[in-house]
Amino acid sequence: MCRSRHWERLVDNTAGAILERPREHSSVRAAPGVLHALLAEFNSPGELRDAAGKVRDAGFKRFDAHSPFPIHGIDSAMGIRRSMLPIVIFCGGLTGCLTGLFLQWWTNASDAGVFQWALDLVTHWFQAFLGYQYLISGKPYFSLPANIPVIFELTILFSAITAVLAMLMSNNLPLFYNPLFNSRRFRRATDDGYFISVLATDPKFDAARVRELLTGAGGDVEDVFELPSAARFPKVIHRVGLTVTMLALVPLAVILMARYGKSPDPRIHIIQDMDNQPKFRAQHADLAFSDGRAMRGPVGLSADHPLGLTVARGELHEDSLYNTGLVGKVFAETIPFYRPELTADEHFVRRGQQRFNIYCAPCHGRDGAGAGMVNEHALTIGGGWVQAADLADDERRSRPVGYIFHTITNGIRTMPAYGDQIPVADRWAIVAYVRALQRARHASAADLNPDDLANLRNR
Amino acid sequence: MASIVQGDIDNTWDDPARRTPLVTGDIDLKTVTDTVCGVAETEVYKTPTAWTIAFVISSATTAMLGLMVLYLFFTGVGVWGVNNPTGWGFAIINFVFWVGIGHAGTLISAILFLFRQKWRTGINRFAEAMTIFAVICALLFPGIHVGRVWMAYYMFPIPNQMGVWPQFRSPLLWDVFAVGTYFTVSLLFWYVGMIPDLSTIRDRAKTTARKIIYGILSMGWTGSSRHWHRFEVTYLVLAALATPLVLSVHSVVSFDFAVSQIPGWHSTIFPPYFVAGAIFSGFAMVMTLAIPARQYFGLKNLITLRHLDNMAKIMLATGMIVGYSYSIEFFIAWYSGSGYERFAFTSRALGPYAWAYWTMVTCNVVVPQLFWFKRARKNLVALFIASIFINIGMWFERFVIVVTSLSSDTVPSSWDYYTPTIIDILTLVGSFGLFFTLFLLFCRFLPMVAMAEVKATMPQAHAGHVSQPALGEARG
Amino acid sequence: MADTNNAVDFSNERVTLGDNAPRIATPALVVGALFIVLSLALGIRGKATFATFLRAYLVNYCFFLSLSLGAMFFVLIQHLTRAGWSVTVRRIAENFLATLPLMGVLALPIVVPMLLGVSAIHDLYEWTNAVLVRHDPVLSGKAVYLNVPFFTIRMIAYFALWCWIGHYFYKSSVAQDQSGSAEATARMQRLSAPAMIVFAFTLTFAAFDLIMSLDPHWFSTIFGVYYYAGSTLGFFCVLAIAMYLLQGAGLLSRTITTEHYHDVGKLAFAFTVFWAYIAYSQYMLIWYASIPEEVPWFDVRQQQPWVAISLVLLFGHFMIPFVALISRVPKRRPTALILGAIWLLLMHWFDLFWLVFPRAAHGEASESNIVAQGLATGEIVQCVLSLIGIGGLFVGVVILRMRGAALVPQRDPRLDESLAFENF
Repeated sequence: MCRSRHWERLVDNTAGAILERPREHSSVRAAPGVLHALLAEFNSPGELRDAAGKVRDAGFKRFDAHSPFPIHGIDSAMGIRRSMLPIVIFCGGLTGCLTGLFLQWWTNASDAGVFQWALDLVTHWFQAFLGYQYLISGKPYFSLPANIPVIFELTILFSAITAVLAMLMSNNLPLFYNPLFNSRRFRRATDDGYFISVLATDPKFDAARVRELLTGAGGDVEDVFELPSAARFPKVIHRVGLTVTMLALVPLAVILMARYGKSPDPRIHIIQDMDNQPKFRAQHADLAFSDGRAMRGPVGLSADHPLGLTVARGELHEDSLYNTGLVGKVFAETIPFYRPELTADEHFVRRGQQRFNIYCAPCHGRDGAGAGMVNEHALTIGGGWVQAADLADDERRSRPVGYIFHTITNGIRTMPAYGDQIPVADRWAIVAYVRALQRARHASAADLNPDDLANLRNR
Repeated sequence: MASIVQGDIDNTWDDPARRTPLVTGDIDLKTVTDTVCGVAETEVYKTPTAWTIAFVISSATTAMLGLMVLYLFFTGVGVWGVNNPTGWGFAIINFVFWVGIGHAGTLISAILFLFRQKWRTGINRFAEAMTIFAVICALLFPGIHVGRVWMAYYMFPIPNQMGVWPQFRSPLLWDVFAVGTYFTVSLLFWYVGMIPDLSTIRDRAKTTARKIIYGILSMGWTGSSRHWHRFEVTYLVLAALATPLVLSVHSVVSFDFAVSQIPGWHSTIFPPYFVAGAIFSGFAMVMTLAIPARQYFGLKNLITLRHLDNMAKIMLATGMIVGYSYSIEFFIAWYSGSGYERFAFTSRALGPYAWAYWTMVTCNVVVPQLFWFKRARKNLVALFIASIFINIGMWFERFVIVVTSLSSDTVPSSWDYYTPTIIDILTLVGSFGLFFTLFLLFCRFLPMVAMAEVKATMPQAHAGHVSQPALGEARG
Repeated sequence: MADTNNAVDFSNERVTLGDNAPRIATPALVVGALFIVLSLALGIRGKATFATFLRAYLVNYCFFLSLSLGAMFFVLIQHLTRAGWSVTVRRIAENFLATLPLMGVLALPIVVPMLLGVSAIHDLYEWTNAVLVRHDPVLSGKAVYLNVPFFTIRMIAYFALWCWIGHYFYKSSVAQDQSGSAEATARMQRLSAPAMIVFAFTLTFAAFDLIMSLDPHWFSTIFGVYYYAGSTLGFFCVLAIAMYLLQGAGLLSRTITTEHYHDVGKLAFAFTVFWAYIAYSQYMLIWYASIPEEVPWFDVRQQQPWVAISLVLLFGHFMIPFVALISRVPKRRPTALILGAIWLLLMHWFDLFWLVFPRAAHGEASESNIVAQGLATGEIVQCVLSLIGIGGLFVGVVILRMRGAALVPQRDPRLDESLAFENF
């Protein structure tokens, strides 16, 4: 009890009038059975307002009016100053605004590198708090237009919470015990009754004078006393409160135990999240096989058959000349036109040209001379790039078609393998076009037909 | 339960010289208290059968919702009908639908308060409760649709093991903040407003259990004028905060669609259009709930024909705003010259979802025209049926927006027809069960009408107040 | 609240401007006409200067049109919502309805050059240039709507409807001064609903026609709402200023109370926020999707010199007024409120300037590299000239209108409610 008076004084001294700590409520409990207040009931809001004015004019400070709804004009009658809550709420809102701004800047736009010193100082645990820069649709990391909604919402949220808490605090609510509730009649204050209460702790309080004043104003006066017994707070609330608090600490304790506890057993994995799947992983055992391994090689693996005996559908390439350009270790000398997929006509070479321009020209250039864009750019970067070959030089011209086919399929030096990207028939078409390019770069006038020759002469 | 059954007193007349009484039947303050508290004070074993039956049905529906959600969690999002190209389906439609319904409560509580519309006092508690329950139903959908529900905490700015934060530039995340704030603020506003009424029930409570429960909830409120002063200031500020909040929430929800480049979605008018539509559907839901509630709970003198009349007019106004938005979107789709936009709108009206489109237009544009006529506005059956149609129409509006634009967007080879699964449909129905269960509980145990506010509008509140037509003080 | 429609006693209150009206109005009208002629004279020298004249004229025309339409909205909404607080100030708004026919006439400098095919108008409205339209598939596609004859017909239709509505509401209200009939209020209430629908559509399409079509490749569905937000805000400011000036002249000193200023202030604050919300929606959605058809309109407004105006609008049209008007204190002090109102009106003018003036420089670069046209001194001069020009005529017409009837609807049934109400 002394603590509450001390607290009141402390708040008054430090916080001043900001929260308008109400002094009209006595937080000091008088001894049981003592007069707490005089309560007068009135018949209408108008009467109440007039009576309140009279009480105020008589110089009383610790009094209040009670009604089921706010009464028009009673604020001025009682001399209630306009509340400063809006300013407090504004500050709360401003806090929300700045929080939203900072939150979004920090989490989406701040650069962790700046805080490297902190990283070096503290454990990895701090990393969870650092921001991570997101690049979304090319918008700036700190995009104010996109950040406005969250800023706005947090402003409103903080304002509203501040409003409610400040209102309750300044009204000194919740205040579950109030001696006024000892009056049976007072229950009508929240129904259809109008009351004035003048507290006995008011400096000018004199029971007879107050009674006379209130009766004169038209009120029906009653004495209100403190409860005769000291036990006012139902014990069950203590017990329930204690139990709930204990229970609330349990999840926290469990989490802390799990986080910091040591155990040889693996953690309980509640949500599997596809972590433990019914399949074999590498390096695991499977006793169904004689060698006990889950990892299996191709079927029929042996020295004679290094790739095993199984062949996927569509992969049985019996015609090795067509599919690899090789028979044994000998490269094909001619394009395998015996295959139905290949036809020796202009269309075939045109197809080769089109495919060449897609796949080969970036490095080798459209003329095959080796000055493609990728090549040119790679040369400026350096770093191990091998100049793309001039496909029409002497060395390539002397190579058999099977060799060229093999190179396309498997790559060579820094050239990657294109076997997966280009179907077999197209590869042969490219080979045919390469031959055409080679012929074109070493043609003589005799190779041209008369019209082209004439055109060339006339340029 | 108050069993006063009366005919409806017609207070929809309009005399410009005086304001119609908002509380009919010449009742006094005590009757207001008795009528409203009587519902909450009925002993549990004396609960009327009608309420019990309704509660059983709605609880069963909620249980079905629970089953659908569990099935979803254990099996995966594939149980829904979403697929390429319609990656968004019932979940977001239901989410937007429910959030929209919530908006009427805040409009009634906050915006009508700022405009000093006293008639709001009969329905504001009711509507605010509806808002909270609607928002709960709404929040259900973003919560369950994420696929890996146990990682739903990623939506919040909580430091995690990967050092990754939410993407604040996404409108889906703005939704988290907007709807979360909306829920919190509505809850606070509703609760704070209820404190005086809870104290009324506390003061009338007969059993210790009720005294303790309502006592704690009412925080020791005594009706002190000093407290009322701060209460009123706070209420005003909360109303002033809730107004831009309610505008912002559905605007943020509309941003989910409008920030995209999808034809039919990217339209700058979406924010105010969605807000108007939300208010429209919200009022329809208030109407749907108010008409039976005032009947069965004996609230006819508090929720009068005038209240319903005003609500119908607001529905007409917001319905016209929605119709205006449809027209302008259609015009600008043509005006823009974008083939994709033009197609999006013609496909809505004539394409595979024409049935949904015309349902929407009929329910949203045609049905509210009924409210031009006073006779319709006074006819409870007409109002009830019309409000249900309006809600159906507003659900279809979201369906049309989401599904038509996604199922036939810019690449024809991706087009496909979206079909919801039975799980989708049952989840939607189940959400109604959740809504009605909570609402029935509210009606049963909490004060349905804001007694303190209604009393302040009654003539008894101004007794002893002399008013005469007179000029004010001269401005110095 | 009084039950009977007893007339309030106005015998000790000055409620009419009487013959003072022409004494103030005439100079305003003369100055207005003079400045328009001056502006025209400066413009008529050549094609480029005429285009400048047209553009500056358009800014001020749209500004004052927005105020007239704001007045119409105010009158309609007060009737529609059966408002009680605004009765004492509604007549002031009704007087502003007289500017609607004036704005109809003042549309001629825009419409006539179009009809005559003057080449300077092609600079303003590209779609009036038939050659350009033929070669531009997008413009050809909209030519059914954006063509001179249809534009003219639409303008005539808008003003016909607006003048009719304005006239009806003014006349009915003034007639009630004599008859005191409650039926007049009921009729105006009933008509205000369809009138509001007409207002919404006509304002939207007028905004599209006059302002949005300045960049005929651009479009925004919210544009009508944007213009509406600005116009309503502008009118609340004008109303506050009018109330202040009238009371300053000794009229209505006890009819208009602090509560009315407070309410007008609240509405101005609310519409500041509403305007910002609409402006933000428009900007953010276009910024976010970054679609090449929509971005150039804002791109131009983010380059010099227009970026300065954009920032002025962000801070001056929203942030500063928001903080300044949020508290009830300035709203209840007429002097403070009027300062805010003047500021906001100025900002509204900048808003329209920002809508009309910024454009891409012709013949520059490609679609992906838009360069904004700069601002010349001549243009600023023309803006000021037509501002005073149209403004003078506008003010003159309003004051002339105030000569006739009382400045307060003396026998409106809700008048006593308006006098008695108090804000919390």
